[in-house]
Amino acid sequence: MYRGGALKKLVLGLAPLLVLAAFSVWSTCRVVGAGAGVPDDDAWQAASKAVRAEHRAGDLIVFAPRWIDPVGRLHLGDLIPIEMAARLDGDRYGVIWELGIRGARAPETRGLSPASQRRFGGVVVRRFERAPAVVLSDLVAIAAAAPGSLQLGGAVARPPQVVLAEVGFEPHRCVQVTPAAGQEMTVTFPAVTLGTELVGAVGLADVFTRRDVRTPIELVVTAGGREVAKARAGVNSGWVRWRGATTPGSGDVVVTARALGGSKGRDRLICFAAEARR
Amino acid sequence: MTPWLQRLLIALALWLASFSLVMCAQRDVGIARDETVYMGHGSKYARWWLDLLGGKGSMASEKAITAHFGGRGPTDNNREHPPLMKTMFGLSEIVLHDRLDVASEVSGYRAPTAAMFAWLVVVAFLWAADVFGLATGIIAGLLTLCLPRAFFHAGLACFDAPIATLWFATIYAYWRGLRSVPWAIGAGVLWGCALATKHNALLLPFALAPHFLWVFVRRLVAGRKVELVWVVVPSMMFYGPLVLIALWPWLWFDTVDHVRDWLRFHMNHVHYNFEYLGENWNAPPFPWHVALVTTLLTVPAATLVAGATGVAAWVQRARDAVQRARGGEGDEGGGDDTAPGLLLALSAAVAMGPFFLGSTPIFGAEKHWAAAIPSLCIAAAVGTVWAARSAAAAVAERWPDLADRAPWLEVAAIAVGGALVVGAAALETVHAQPHALSSYNAIAGGAPGGADLGMNRQFWGESARGVLPFLRTRAPAAGAASKPVYSHDASPAWGIYLRDGLLPRTMPDSGREEGGVASSRLAIVVHELHFNRHDYMIWNAYGTLQPVFVLRVDGVPVVSVYQRRDQ
Repeated sequence: MYRGGALKKLVLGLAPLLVLAAFSVWSTCRVVGAGAGVPDDDAWQAASKAVRAEHRAGDLIVFAPRWIDPVGRLHLGDLIPIEMAARLDGDRYGVIWELGIRGARAPETRGLSPASQRRFGGVVVRRFERAPAVVLSDLVAIAAAAPGSLQLGGAVARPPQVVLAEVGFEPHRCVQVTPAAGQEMTVTFPAVTLGTELVGAVGLADVFTRRDVRTPIELVVTAGGREVAKARAGVNSGWVRWRGATTPGSGDVVVTARALGGSKGRDRLICFAAEARR
Repeated sequence: MTPWLQRLLIALALWLASFSLVMCAQRDVGIARDETVYMGHGSKYARWWLDLLGGKGSMASEKAITAHFGGRGPTDNNREHPPLMKTMFGLSEIVLHDRLDVASEVSGYRAPTAAMFAWLVVVAFLWAADVFGLATGIIAGLLTLCLPRAFFHAGLACFDAPIATLWFATIYAYWRGLRSVPWAIGAGVLWGCALATKHNALLLPFALAPHFLWVFVRRLVAGRKVELVWVVVPSMMFYGPLVLIALWPWLWFDTVDHVRDWLRFHMNHVHYNFEYLGENWNAPPFPWHVALVTTLLTVPAATLVAGATGVAAWVQRARDAVQRARGGEGDEGGGDDTAPGLLLALSAAVAMGPFFLGSTPIFGAEKHWAAAIPSLCIAAAVGTVWAARSAAAAVAERWPDLADRAPWLEVAAIAVGGALVVGAAALETVHAQPHALSSYNAIAGGAPGGADLGMNRQFWGESARGVLPFLRTRAPAAGAASKPVYSHDASPAWGIYLRDGLLPRTMPDSGREEGGVASSRLAIVVHELHFNRHDYMIWNAYGTLQPVFVLRVDGVPVVSVYQRRDQ
């Protein structure tokens, strides 16, 4: 009894110092060794070599987590056209290469099962295959190729421009328009080849105008004279996806961009992209 | 050796070690965006003072003062920030670089901050030693030195380390001033210096007033003398503003208007971008827990755990004292009715307090509440020594043969405990340099863990310094056309990098935004979420999204370098 009580007292007396000691050693190892948990260039080169051996033009390459993207582009950036990096979404790509570290996954592969998976150091290379969406018309491509074909209406502060914009801290190739403060404007894309659905996204470009003007915007899309989608984007919404059913054939697509918030809703850099898909 | 001399020698050693270490470390630290502003204005202010003291009476005219310190615009001559540290930066550069040539230009500007930080270490030592003994004092001083982020800021010609020092020194002097008239006067002078350094000092009364009331009322209730206690109040109210005005010529005329302009600027300060838990924040309301979580993820984990232990030990000690008092065994306050623990807690709470409101601009994370951290370091020292004493006592009790060696046992336990906790913090601090703004503690999982959590990667563009060696490898050959570099957030520092020979003159800054990108041959992007737009501008102009070099901290990208394809 005595011996047990004495031992308990000793352990209790030593415990705080032992906990501090253990914590000190653990924290040092964890911080100083943190870099070992991130794959080095050798691992990336091995992963890159494996991807290059099977990669075909048009395959989508994505990296996870988002913060490792510069390193991924350092090793495989030459296989990623800017148009691909600034895509509307990943649905039009039949093959996706995902290079992930630290257990992270890219949003583009959510819900998909990898056809193959290999590990190079800490870099996990996964290859996904699926039936790609068939794109019949791309409104951004139309605006870039034939800007004169677009018809404008409403209160236009800045006419449409095809830009590579920052929306939600990600790159997006889009048609950028700015209606007058608190007003709306329309852009008509005449005689667009339509499929069964129109898929698109909208967001507010430029971090500094998003900071200085906090009002949201709204996008209304009609195809063949019928409203197919309506989306609202605020300063923290990022790239807001929308989709609507359409009747296959040819028809005008009218995009109405609305700056909400009355006179406060100025300088809204409304950025949208859309594709008609079979 | 008398205790007084012993403390003096330890304080001196701590000061010299801190100053030397910071001055060595800062040589590898890039130039922060704001530094260039403070350096330039600091030189201007210093020359004004030298001219004035050299007998050039015209410098005291309203016109000359306005030309140097003021102006109509809210940021003219950097009048939105008081001038004390800027003046020190300028004077230091003139003396250490221009006249004595013992430091580079940048080191000359930065030396006053390093000196001030060294004083912070000394004050933490002195205060903890006063209240808890020498061992606690030494550990507190060393833990204050071994803070990765604070150590980094100590090497910049900015105000964050100096205001932390002057805040803490004012609190210490005030506490001593409760029993001493010279210290009461010193508290007023130090508060004036703090006010002349950064507007954070305006918050100090919110920490001091409740503490003063607590001490004053307790003394009244206990029937003790209160004559000496109140001296510190008029002293601070008199000397604080007086010193501020004396050190800031812009306040020598139209004082009320100029003070109002100074404060108005900060009441309407623009919000910058910062990344926190996966989101970019640039407009209120901000999460209420930013200061708390950021501190928990940036102060060394061993210091945090020791600090929690110290707080628990401290609370226990106060509780025991109250129980003893109720039992008629002694003083209710545990012997020290100046309540240093309460004061340290109030200091930390008030330094952090504004950031719980969700509306205070945050553009440098931990640096804004740096004054709160020394309180934590003292608590950590208390916790470490308490744990060590507890262990020594347990060993002595278990093995009675060692009882006569109990004092040595205690010293050994404190040495081991101190070495472990301080050692962990020191290794973390060394590991974090020179890119400490990207560093995170063990709780976060180091720099990669911080990135996984979506915490701020960095700010101020100082990490651009890390890609200069790579850029040099792409320098044009002799006689070839120059290669301008798009440097965005590092552009204010580019001229200094060229002047210091870190880059050849044939690699100038190419200019701002699209025009700068268009005329550049190489480009860098400092990775922060809101700087992603620079990547996209460069992709557009260069026709590629592939960088040629990525600077990493523990594997986390901090700066990318792009090169135009046609080279």
